[in-house]
Amino acid sequence: MTPPRAAVSRQPLRQLKNRIATGLITAGGIGVLLAILAIGVFLIWETLPLLAWDQTFAFSKLSPLAWGTLKAALAAMLFALPIALGAAMYSALFMSARLRSRVKPALEMMEAIPGVVVGFIAGLVLAPWVERHLASTLALLIWLPISAGLAGVLWHMAASRWRKWLPLSWAGLWLLPWLVCMVLLALWFAPLLEQFLLGGDLRRLLEQHWGMDYATRNALIVGIAMGFAVIPSIYALAEDALADVPTSLMEGAQALGASRWQALWKVALPAAGPGIFSAVMIGAGRAVGETMIVLMASGNMALLSVSPFEGMRSMAAAIAIELPEASPGGLTYHHLILAALVLFIFTFLVNTLAEVVRSRMRRRYHKAGRH
Amino acid sequence: MSRFSDTPRRRLMDALWPWLCAASVALSLLMLAALLALLVVRGLGHFWPATLEEITLRSGDSVAGQPTREAPLPQADGFERLYFTANRDIDGASWRWVNLDDIASRSTPSDLIRLERNPWGDFIGRLAGVETGGQLLREDQAWRYLTQALALPQAERPDAELLLVTSDGQTLRQPLSNFSQALAPNAMSWWQKIHTWSRNVWQFLSQGPRAANTGGGVWPAIFGTVLMVILMSVIVTPFGVLAAIYLNEIAHQNRLTRLVRIGVRNLAGVPSIVYGVFGLGVFVYGIGGTLDSWFFSDTLPSPTFGTGGLLWASLTLALLTLPVVIVATEEGLARIPDAQREGAVALGATRLEMLVRIVLPMAIPAMLTGVILAVARAAGEVAPLMLVGVAKLAPQMPVDGEFPYLHLERKFMHLGYHLFDTAFHGEDVQAAIPLVYATALLLVLIVLVLNLTAIFLRHYFRRQRGSEC
Amino acid sequence: MLASLDSATASQAPVTHFSSEHCALSIDQFNLTYAGKSALRDLTLSVPRHRVTAFIGPSGCGKSTLLRAINRLHDLNESVAHSGHIQLEGQDIYAPQMNVTELRRRVGMVFQTPNPFPMSIYENVAFGLRLQHRLPKRQRDDIIEWALTSAALWDEVKDRLHRSAWQLSGGQQQRLVIARTLAVQPDVLLLDEPASALDPISTLKIEELIRNLKSQLTLVLVTHNMQQAARVSDYTAFLHNGELVEYGPTDQVFTNPRLQRTENYITGRMT
Repeated sequence: MTPPRAAVSRQPLRQLKNRIATGLITAGGIGVLLAILAIGVFLIWETLPLLAWDQTFAFSKLSPLAWGTLKAALAAMLFALPIALGAAMYSALFMSARLRSRVKPALEMMEAIPGVVVGFIAGLVLAPWVERHLASTLALLIWLPISAGLAGVLWHMAASRWRKWLPLSWAGLWLLPWLVCMVLLALWFAPLLEQFLLGGDLRRLLEQHWGMDYATRNALIVGIAMGFAVIPSIYALAEDALADVPTSLMEGAQALGASRWQALWKVALPAAGPGIFSAVMIGAGRAVGETMIVLMASGNMALLSVSPFEGMRSMAAAIAIELPEASPGGLTYHHLILAALVLFIFTFLVNTLAEVVRSRMRRRYHKAGRH
Repeated sequence: MSRFSDTPRRRLMDALWPWLCAASVALSLLMLAALLALLVVRGLGHFWPATLEEITLRSGDSVAGQPTREAPLPQADGFERLYFTANRDIDGASWRWVNLDDIASRSTPSDLIRLERNPWGDFIGRLAGVETGGQLLREDQAWRYLTQALALPQAERPDAELLLVTSDGQTLRQPLSNFSQALAPNAMSWWQKIHTWSRNVWQFLSQGPRAANTGGGVWPAIFGTVLMVILMSVIVTPFGVLAAIYLNEIAHQNRLTRLVRIGVRNLAGVPSIVYGVFGLGVFVYGIGGTLDSWFFSDTLPSPTFGTGGLLWASLTLALLTLPVVIVATEEGLARIPDAQREGAVALGATRLEMLVRIVLPMAIPAMLTGVILAVARAAGEVAPLMLVGVAKLAPQMPVDGEFPYLHLERKFMHLGYHLFDTAFHGEDVQAAIPLVYATALLLVLIVLVLNLTAIFLRHYFRRQRGSEC
Repeated sequence: MLASLDSATASQAPVTHFSSEHCALSIDQFNLTYAGKSALRDLTLSVPRHRVTAFIGPSGCGKSTLLRAINRLHDLNESVAHSGHIQLEGQDIYAPQMNVTELRRRVGMVFQTPNPFPMSIYENVAFGLRLQHRLPKRQRDDIIEWALTSAALWDEVKDRLHRSAWQLSGGQQQRLVIARTLAVQPDVLLLDEPASALDPISTLKIEELIRNLKSQLTLVLVTHNMQQAARVSDYTAFLHNGELVEYGPTDQVFTNPRLQRTENYITGRMT
């Protein structure tokens, strides 16, 4: 039984179509990639005219902006790093799988919250509150980690029946009410402490004794707000890196008599080191380039100060404010484009470094998995 | 002999360390929950018809208003409370701080009303009467007349004048045409309040801003955001998919391709403001300026395309989200087993036929995910828009009945920028804050829903494929 | 005609050359390098028409590489270079005027793991047909029924032709892939370890199918499984390190190999 062979052949047309489409996709693809890469070319091209101008002026204009950018990023990293890395370690190594499958997306959602919303909350809600409750805020920053440790100590002292009820693998969830209580406790206690120890208002004390100015929108606020914004990206990448560490490594260390914490500290962290490094790099890149949060929470004064209670102006914020008003071709215009170029190069380098480190690590595990 | 010795320090660390880490997770969740709760409560609470209070001060004055918050006195012990008293035309201000110690009595009389008007903002006080056609209506009659008149469309409302009395006894007379809504919140039942609340939410979503952004809604901003995002996806989808197909299916896989791939991936991490600078320099000043000098030279020096506008904003955001789409699509393409490609080719398919009939249909979920992520990113992005085309209050919508119906050169309103502008450059920030909360909530909801859709899609298709393989 | 061919196998001299009328594929001094590394060296053999020829050898010996070279699948990979000739019915398949898609239609290929497309059973079989011809639906349905029947699948799937092909079992999927290939009526069918991912019963079905199909076309089977080669093939070629070690009628290669190396491999002393 053989079917009739069909005679109509579509060969030549098919080949032609294939050739034309391949050519079009190639042209389109290369075109798109070139358009993306054109960003760098444009920025360099537009900063070239600056070479003809006086360099010292550019330096004096850009250095407060550069400092502001660094200060904001530093403040954010100081706030975000401990929280993000701690959360990553906990959710990769201690958390129950069921809780993890819910907490991870929740924290990923945190990344999606637009900067302008975070900036608004920081600038108009958090900043005035912190200004009125400076002592409470600082007390909270110190008290929260202590209270977490306290929870651990209490747990270890508690009866084993209690421990079964409140397992460590679900601590990320049931610590929530504990933390809320601790926050309330700190808020109730801090003013009393302020009254008792410092004899009044901490802010006035700062101004009178140490001559520190207090601006409503300052590095502290920016640190908290932008920290909030970069926690999820650092957390996600660091968590992936830690979760990629083969469980056999951890189990091997624990079989040798290491405690969980030692296995984490001596085995998992070094093994995931490059991944964590690249997570931190990407977080730093985000913090440096974030515009709206700094714009709304920093006060935008181009200052060269190290005080955490004073504001700053970052390069990104300066571009957003000044560039629409700068006449194209003018000196300010070129200076701002130089600032954009610096941002571009910095973030590009940082991201490339992170990517290279990460892919190298992945290749290493690939090999380790094979042997 | 183990190098892991059992020491007191080790035991302490074992007890402390996991808890500090667990607390980090709890703290992150707490912050996220606090932020969302704040937005929900303040954003949605604003539309609730709040109870109006009438207080008598020790000095004998009487004040009516909506209590908003309390704060400790700046210089002395004790607290003060902020009242929204409205009546800016009479008092010169619509807010009043009252020292709690000064208050002699508080009450919530049911005849206190709150009227929305166009000049001067809201009125809080009592309705003394309505004068219409030489006839004076009083009490319940007047109130019924007023609510019925306001329920009619603007054009059909009768001519009438309202006689109003403030809490401290001043009277004023204003035409009905000034007013848009009348509420007596203290006399309302729960059901009526819920009804009013949903009507207020609807007005917020469907109306334009009024009274320097302190009232009204955000419809033009929603419209502008959506239109811009749609235009952007129309631009970014084909180009992103094209580039991904080229990179993954056609280009020779060598060192250069790998470099380009890393480059594209890293561009996703370049700050959005840099894209804004590029958009301003190349699209607005470069291409827009050239277009102006070619086609719109009669209107120069006032620019047509040589200034920020819808088209340039969409293009800039398309460029910004291009890496997102490329990376997502490429991931989808890479996940398709080579066996599928070889199977098609072994049957005599050309490369185009293989791509169109086998590879692309299988990569559609990945592309969709990429586009949704791009849209979510673009919807929340404000910084580049400040350079390439949003307006505080756009005089004209970018779509209207005038040829060519879609005006790509016009400026447009954007939710994120509207939020920023109202919160930081508004005239009466205090009065605008509730609306800012509502706008922020709306923006967060839009972005979260988009992201959740992307996550859901990815999981759904991954699971589907996993079960079928 | 075929009898004379088979009678030749009885003589001691190994049969590695067939006259052009009996020869479907002839490979002549074929070399192939993969990223600079030599994968096939100086291969010369010819495959008889309407017979099953098995390529056996340890993994990495180049048997799959050779199979893919016959279908020109290496064209998708730039790091592959070749020299020498492969002729299909007397036509050099690497000649510049050769139409690759037409070649691939004439040389069907079935892979190790079943790779049905993510569409219905019907569409899977129709895929190749739609590329080649614009057929009236009746005629297309006939061909599809014929192909599925030839692949011994029709009775199992005739009631659910429009269900997803991914819902079939592994063995059914592999027979579907064979049907898909048969639908475009190839002259040669290359099978790259078609049963290695299947359970024993599905494997038996595939083997039976292979034996039945040789009345229609020429089959080349790459396999790891010595018993399988012995069960289904008429001729066996033993490859090692990219070279052809021994080639001849299956009975002879398995019962009376000429070379020690072949015997070692067949008896399992070398892997």
